[in-house]
Amino acid sequence: MAQNPIQSTAITRNQRIVAISRQRTDTWARRVFFVITVLPIGLIAIVLIGLLYRSWPILSRYPLVDLLFGVDWKPSEGRFGFYSFIMGTVWVTVVGVGLAIPPCILVAIYLAEYAGARIRLLAKPILDVLAAIPPVVYGVWGLLSVVPLVKTVLGPWSQQLLGFWGLFAVQQPTGFSVLAGGIVLAVIITPLIIAVIFEIFNTVPVDLRNASLAIGATRWETIQRILLPQVMPGIIAAIVLGASRAFGETIAVLMVVGNIAQVPHSLFDAAYPLPALIANNYGEMMSIPLYDAALLCAALILLVIILLFNILATVVLTRFVK
Amino acid sequence: MRLQPWNRRHLIERVMQIAMIGSLVIVGLCLGAILGTIIARGLPSLTWQMISQTPKGGFYMGKAGGVLNAILGSLYLASGATALAIVFALPIALYLQTYLATSGWAQLVRLALDVLWGIPSIVYGAFGFTLMIVLGVRASLFAGIIVLALVELPIMTRAMDEVIRRLPRDLAQAALALGSTKLEVALRVVIPQTLPGIVTAVLLAFGRGIGDAAAVLFTAGYTDRIPTSLLRATASLPLAVFFQLGTPYPEVRERGYASALILTIIVLVVSFGSRWLAARLQRYTVK
Amino acid sequence: MHIIARLAGLLVMGALVLSACGSTATNTTDANSGELSGTIAISGAFALYPMMTVWTEEFTKLHPNVEFDVQGGGAGKGMTDVLSGAVEIGMISRDIKPEEISRGAYWVSVTKDAVFPLISAQNPYASEILARGISQTTFAKIFVTGEIKTWGEVLGKPEITDEIHVYTRSDACGAGEMWAKFAGGKVQDDLKGIGVNGEPALVDTVSKDTLGIGYSNLNSVFDVRAGTLVAGAVVPPIDINDNGQADANELYKTTADAIKAVADGVYPSPPARFENLATKGKPTGVTLAFIRWILTDGQQFLSQAGYVPLAPDQQTESLGKLK
Repeated sequence: MAQNPIQSTAITRNQRIVAISRQRTDTWARRVFFVITVLPIGLIAIVLIGLLYRSWPILSRYPLVDLLFGVDWKPSEGRFGFYSFIMGTVWVTVVGVGLAIPPCILVAIYLAEYAGARIRLLAKPILDVLAAIPPVVYGVWGLLSVVPLVKTVLGPWSQQLLGFWGLFAVQQPTGFSVLAGGIVLAVIITPLIIAVIFEIFNTVPVDLRNASLAIGATRWETIQRILLPQVMPGIIAAIVLGASRAFGETIAVLMVVGNIAQVPHSLFDAAYPLPALIANNYGEMMSIPLYDAALLCAALILLVIILLFNILATVVLTRFVK
Repeated sequence: MRLQPWNRRHLIERVMQIAMIGSLVIVGLCLGAILGTIIARGLPSLTWQMISQTPKGGFYMGKAGGVLNAILGSLYLASGATALAIVFALPIALYLQTYLATSGWAQLVRLALDVLWGIPSIVYGAFGFTLMIVLGVRASLFAGIIVLALVELPIMTRAMDEVIRRLPRDLAQAALALGSTKLEVALRVVIPQTLPGIVTAVLLAFGRGIGDAAAVLFTAGYTDRIPTSLLRATASLPLAVFFQLGTPYPEVRERGYASALILTIIVLVVSFGSRWLAARLQRYTVK
Repeated sequence: MHIIARLAGLLVMGALVLSACGSTATNTTDANSGELSGTIAISGAFALYPMMTVWTEEFTKLHPNVEFDVQGGGAGKGMTDVLSGAVEIGMISRDIKPEEISRGAYWVSVTKDAVFPLISAQNPYASEILARGISQTTFAKIFVTGEIKTWGEVLGKPEITDEIHVYTRSDACGAGEMWAKFAGGKVQDDLKGIGVNGEPALVDTVSKDTLGIGYSNLNSVFDVRAGTLVAGAVVPPIDINDNGQADANELYKTTADAIKAVADGVYPSPPARFENLATKGKPTGVTLAFIRWILTDGQQFLSQAGYVPLAPDQQTESLGKLK
């Protein structure tokens, strides 16, 4: 669309054609983009319908209340209570995300606002790599380091100092626990959350910081008063992304969480999250019709949990932006 | 003793700095420990044979061979899926920002993406597998690429979206005021300005794709041979790691770590490469 | 525009390169030369995967025109693949279930495997346990009913109050199902205990937990090449005849002992079990030839990999099912 300087005073026919074709391209692009953009919504609908269809043998057979709030898991005897698994998912995710948030925000701020150019240059590829390590490797690390740590250090400490409080009491001393799962989960989602927050900080114009620093504010004050309000919605979005990932994390968690179908009452109890249930059994049991339906029903329940969580987060985020 | 305002302000600054460096150390230690485990246990078994050969019979019992099948398989799967995901992710991210901005539609799409992102990849795998059974198709590279693209799409789009959203409005408005169409603004202003963030988004997705085991297990399968066609089953590194770590033979498990190390090196090379490229492409932008 | 154009270009190029290299697999026997040829796709249990790669390589040496495509994924996936026609052979490391037979599954047993109980070599009561053995009813009370909670109850010494740490496999597997059947349950879900994912992790965890107890397949608890137990683990004898002491034929310290006890049928079944290959209907053509070879010449490769060859009568029975 180079302008011809000689003809620039009057709108030529040529230019009009160019303008019209540009408009037309824009209109077409808008239509194509729109179709692509609604794809994710369609995809969710397809997944929901597909899972509903595949788990129908279970859903049509047992009352929903029994499925959601039953604690009995004996598929061979036709008892399918998902409550323990739902609670397992909630416990491990809450612990994992709770452990991850504070260090993630602090590290991202440090990288974006304090660190020198060299550290930043190194940090990004390292974060990429960490986000790409297969979860099974995180799981093995958890098995070798985190489970023994919980068993020999954190467990005994907690029992001694806070044992009177149920949440911190150690009933089961093997180290395979909600806490071990939470720690591994926190480590897995950390690179993702840091990478996204870091990028968001980088998009804030330099002028804003300079103006604040110039009038004598300390760096932290600049961050707290100028930057944080501006990037807060982004930080929350990053955390929601991390939490969504945490809900679905499978292999690494199932390697350290103990996989007992019970409702946990303490950080040191074993738990059994929904994705672990699916991964542990799907490859082996998919040829047994009712079991297969039960596992896809677990996937459906997980999808609904994630959906509810995200709707809640969106509502909160909208409030926040206003 | 009551601190002087000046002192208090600098005390807070100090405390926050210490907290940040403390977090950096903790996060660094955890993540360093993982990288350290892979390197310490993988490096001794990382031989040229590992990279240059396919598994021979008895490879999973400690006999000769390598994981070339999985290396190539993973490269095909992840690059194919990432390319496919970009084709969809970039338009969605641009459309959300330049056309929809903060309307209800945009929120709905973001919600959908976040939910898709949370679905475990094994569910995508199970879904793809069911569909393939219905259609009577065997496990193939092609099916693996499509399912992996679905796994990658949400995080790629949302990471791009979050970066594009933070771009100052005035830049785009200036371009619009000069008579550019929205599409031109998106392609000529938004993309170049946010390129490093877009690259980060692509790399996050690439990492998710190349590291995923559950989705490909049911759709791309696993075979000891190098994939020669989009319609043949293919191996992948995460599955190679998973299989090898699951065998009773210690030397095979060591090779599992070596395979994880190979995967790590691939991601590192791709990461450095694309960031260098992005930095070169981005020389002419408004800082 | 440049970036999108370039990326699209890359994608198209990539697809072209990939499909250009491609060749479609044929699945026919060459009738003219009488030589076996074709492609056999196999999927299923991880327990049989390593063994299958050995078999396929040896078979390819004899019949270079036969190509194999072997995939892991789990017994259920193998079965689903077979029933849907996606593969020719499914590797099934457990019994075939009635639901599967009614949908057309046909199977032959190709090898024997066995699950062994497992405690840590550092268990404070290890020597006593090794001397006395543990009876089937005691195992049932530890693993399924949960009545026995301390090592003292196992040894009949109430003064010992050390708790037993029970471990089981979290992933559904043939070993878990067989152990459950031995311990008086029906399915793996009946087993109590902390669920550990994968066999090596379970062996490792029990070895390190001095009060732990678990179970594992033969080739994970016995080191096949060294011929002894893996470091850190001990197999508590199953007191088969319930006489309160471990007899010579109940105590296995070497791989050879264990393989012999399983092959001879001295070791009880369950937890010993057959591992199976499933087909949709009776196998034919190349698939039939391959399975028949596994049952005859293929058996010689089993013991070096820690699997137990079929006894002659079982071999005859399996071959009979192919006729």
